[in-house]
Amino acid sequence: MEIIGKISKGSKMDQIYIPKNRAGFNNGEYVLISPFRGRIEKQFKPHFYNLNNLEPIKIKVIEDIFSLINKKTDVENIIITGSFLESGFGFNDIDILLINEKKININIIKEEIEKMTGIKTHIIFLNNKTLILGLSSDPLYNLMLSKCVSKNRLIFKIKRKINYKLLDLNLLKSKTLIDNFEILNGNEKYYLTLNMISILLFIQGKKLDKGIINKEIERVFNMKINELKNNLINKENFLKIYKEIFNKTFDLILDNIKGKNDE
Amino acid sequence: MMNRNRLIEVFISNLANAIIHQILEKAIDKQEIAGVYSKEVKNSWGIAKKYREKINPINRNLPEKDMVEIKKKVINKVRTELRLRIDKGYENINLSLVDEFVENALKKMEIV
Repeated sequence: MEIIGKISKGSKMDQIYIPKNRAGFNNGEYVLISPFRGRIEKQFKPHFYNLNNLEPIKIKVIEDIFSLINKKTDVENIIITGSFLESGFGFNDIDILLINEKKININIIKEEIEKMTGIKTHIIFLNNKTLILGLSSDPLYNLMLSKCVSKNRLIFKIKRKINYKLLDLNLLKSKTLIDNFEILNGNEKYYLTLNMISILLFIQGKKLDKGIINKEIERVFNMKINELKNNLINKENFLKIYKEIFNKTFDLILDNIKGKNDE
Repeated sequence: MMNRNRLIEVFISNLANAIIHQILEKAIDKQEIAGVYSKEVKNSWGIAKKYREKINPINRNLPEKDMVEIKKKVINKVRTELRLRIDKGYENINLSLVDEFVENALKKMEIV
């Protein structure tokens, strides 16, 4: 592995800065510095958002995915998000958003990524307008992009615009937990709870990221996230609180649907 | 292990959810939304299907009595949920779609 860096002047010592998220060059390792005589081409550096300790092997996978997609198509932006970016190797798949105005064939890209990485890949194609609409009105988009890696810099200064019809549609899926408690596994229960709480916080104008929502789930249900993910929760206690929060959120949505139909 | 009545009950609830989702999507009527949220319909639909596969008889239509009962309950559930919204001022919900959507869904699930 090679990294091209520039020596910069320090007060007591000069230094070379290298990206914190990198595949290889671990802290404590000795490296050899030698002059670079070639032509400096613009280095490709992904943008990391709220990711401090991504495993080097995942960074390598991400770089390979970006490189593969860039070879196939010149999309405006590539965003990697989802469970793959969570610490450890318990992810289900890699979620990739491809942002482009012109439609592209995502099936070929999906197949090639799966072949290259051996990991199930889920690609969503969006144009910029849809992405901005999603970010302004959908808590799940906010959540999705609160932790991500992108090819080009993302601009998050998007004004929140609450579309209660959309939130109603989003909340509907969390209703399935009430009737299906027995058949849902811990991760599914976690996802549906996360969805409901993120909608509530979104309506209340609060900031959304996974850490904030996880803390809120732990506070409201008085349990640890891992207990929920591992399906170790008391059905009666959990459902009692869940139904209360669901009804509160649903009422908030319905109370505001009036007169806001075309937002 | 759930008994047959409970299985039917949960099946009804999930199928109703999928149909409510479809009708609400039409009420929002925004192209961008339809694409992104169609996955959610598939989720409820998938769970309903899982339950249907546990309700005997599995490979043919249910007995007349069950058929009528399930259809009535799904229609009522969908209508009640949609009316809740209409009463609060939610516009553009087309209640006349309910019977047709329920009929189609039940056919696909080999209930009728």
